[in-house]
Amino acid sequence: MSETGTSAGPMIVCERVGKWFGDFQALKTVDLEVDRQEVVVVMGPSGSGKSTLIRCINRLEKHDAGRIVVDGIEMSDDLRNIQEIRREVGMVFQQFNLFPHLTVLENVTLAPRQVRHKPKREAEEIAMLQLERVQIPEQALKYPGQLSGGQQQRVAIARALAMQPKVMLFDEPTSALDPEMIKEVLDAMLELARSGMTMIVVTHEMGFAREVAGRMVFMDDGQVVEIGTPEHFFTNPREERTKKFLSQIL
Amino acid sequence: MATDTSTLEPLPIPEPDRPAYRAKPKDWVRENLFSGPVNSIVTIVGALVIAFLAYRALRFLFVTARWEAVHVNLTNYMVGGFPRDELWRLWAAVYLLTLLGGMRWGVSVHRTRPTDGRAEASWRAPLRRFWPFIVFALVVVGLSASPVTAAALLGVGMTAFIGRVAGIRVPPRGVRWVTILFILGCVAAFEVMVAFGGVPYPDWRGLMLTLFLSLGGILLSFPLGVLLALGRRSTFPAIRALSVAYIELIRGVPLITLLFMAFLVLGFFLPPGTQTPSLVARALIAFVLFTAAYVAEVVRGGLQAVPNEQVEAAQALGLSPVKITALIVLPQALRAVIPAMVGQFISLFKDTSLAASIGLAELLRVAEQINGQPRFTGHGLQAETLGFAAFVFWVGAYWMSKTSQRLEKRLGVGER
Repeated sequence: MSETGTSAGPMIVCERVGKWFGDFQALKTVDLEVDRQEVVVVMGPSGSGKSTLIRCINRLEKHDAGRIVVDGIEMSDDLRNIQEIRREVGMVFQQFNLFPHLTVLENVTLAPRQVRHKPKREAEEIAMLQLERVQIPEQALKYPGQLSGGQQQRVAIARALAMQPKVMLFDEPTSALDPEMIKEVLDAMLELARSGMTMIVVTHEMGFAREVAGRMVFMDDGQVVEIGTPEHFFTNPREERTKKFLSQIL
Repeated sequence: MATDTSTLEPLPIPEPDRPAYRAKPKDWVRENLFSGPVNSIVTIVGALVIAFLAYRALRFLFVTARWEAVHVNLTNYMVGGFPRDELWRLWAAVYLLTLLGGMRWGVSVHRTRPTDGRAEASWRAPLRRFWPFIVFALVVVGLSASPVTAAALLGVGMTAFIGRVAGIRVPPRGVRWVTILFILGCVAAFEVMVAFGGVPYPDWRGLMLTLFLSLGGILLSFPLGVLLALGRRSTFPAIRALSVAYIELIRGVPLITLLFMAFLVLGFFLPPGTQTPSLVARALIAFVLFTAAYVAEVVRGGLQAVPNEQVEAAQALGLSPVKITALIVLPQALRAVIPAMVGQFISLFKDTSLAASIGLAELLRVAEQINGQPRFTGHGLQAETLGFAAFVFWVGAYWMSKTSQRLEKRLGVGER
């Protein structure tokens, strides 16, 4: 029943998703739907399961209960099925995780060439386009170690975009950056959100959330506590735990 | 940091400026050698000891040593009892390899980062890189005292240069072809040696045998070692158990035991009816099996040094497990272990002398045999004959060590 590329229906469906690390239950029956072109910002205290949730969506973590459907493809244990989902889902990590032995250009062309089997020329064209999009085409021939954190994170975004994914996951993309570099990364993400990309962003950047989030998700203790518009979330949260969290970070 | 995007070659990692402080020689001596009474005494005593040793060494080298044992047997050192009529094959192979090796070297200038490139462009680069070989050639010419040998060796050097000049002119796109040509050239050189009435490798002796065992050992043990290292981390329990058992078994046994086993009992493991391989092949098998276990452990260390985040990033991009290993994990792991790996190969190079114990006349055995020759027996010329063999080993080992350092720098070990 898994139909690929259906343009109707939500992009991501998480139904009663559960995840254990040994005895510790990281996710307890999480339900979440993300529509096409929607930007969802996930917040919550550390250890609340935010990262685990988005890492389940591209199978960096295996969920133990419930079901996850991405773009009409239901996640199973079959490696080919997992690969199919990973091709559609781009991910940006807190620590960038660029490949240090490859140049920026090689980092970005790697997946288009090896996974999508594009010829070198075409892959390089795509890569330069994405590097221009994040405004660092002039760094294409350097190695990641020669770039600043902000530049590295923008390369990581370009690397994910070069696969032309339908969904982008961001796992605290600005948490490892020096303050003066946060803006350049957020700008790239803003542009991406405005272009209609479906995004799930784990971040504590309030300004970013206010500006582009369609919905805010507040998680605590492995559960989704509250979902709502940014306006509702920041000014008038319903739940006690949300209020407490906001009072701590605002 | 201006960037030139017109070429697709990797860009230089800028070298940090070093402080240009340098003391005057007189000040340096005072500060470092005569800063106090104790220091002064140590300096003087040390200088006397060094001077004495240097005097004895030089006196031995140039006055008392009787080099005619080496002079007469120079060809035996190189090739043992290799038929002298067929020596042209060896020279042809050497010339072919230096030409292609020079080309490959010239081509590599393209890919070198300009910090090294400055050095590459000057005439000092070949000196710095190959000076052990140049010393070797000079010593050989000196010992042979033969203009023909001198001319032939000079020709080798010039061939390398011609190859290099040709290699530099190859456009970047042709790099792959030069590498393929080089590999084909190695096969061709081997064929020149053995084909059409040549000398098959089981009959090789002397330095040639040492080099054959070393190169063969390196080329075969490396892939086997990498496979074993990957096997040890495999998710399949059977493969993991086999790899662990192999590695621990081999590492628990002295190399010489393996050599004796290859010598004496290999036949029992082969299916009945198969011809027992030659002694050289059996020695090679022992060296490969032995070194592979150590290479495997070295590579395993490198694999562990690659953070799991690298794998996750590759997984998130949709790369298959095989491609993640081949394109992301292994390249980083191998880079990290170049020094340890080359150390292993230097060990192998020197350990090939153990092949003498199963009756193979490699370099060291030849040196010993010379002392048994009627003309030199009982003259106590071990210092000369063994000394020359040691010198040849040093040339090879030192060059490998230098090459490892250069590779480290070029591949940017330690840059994350």
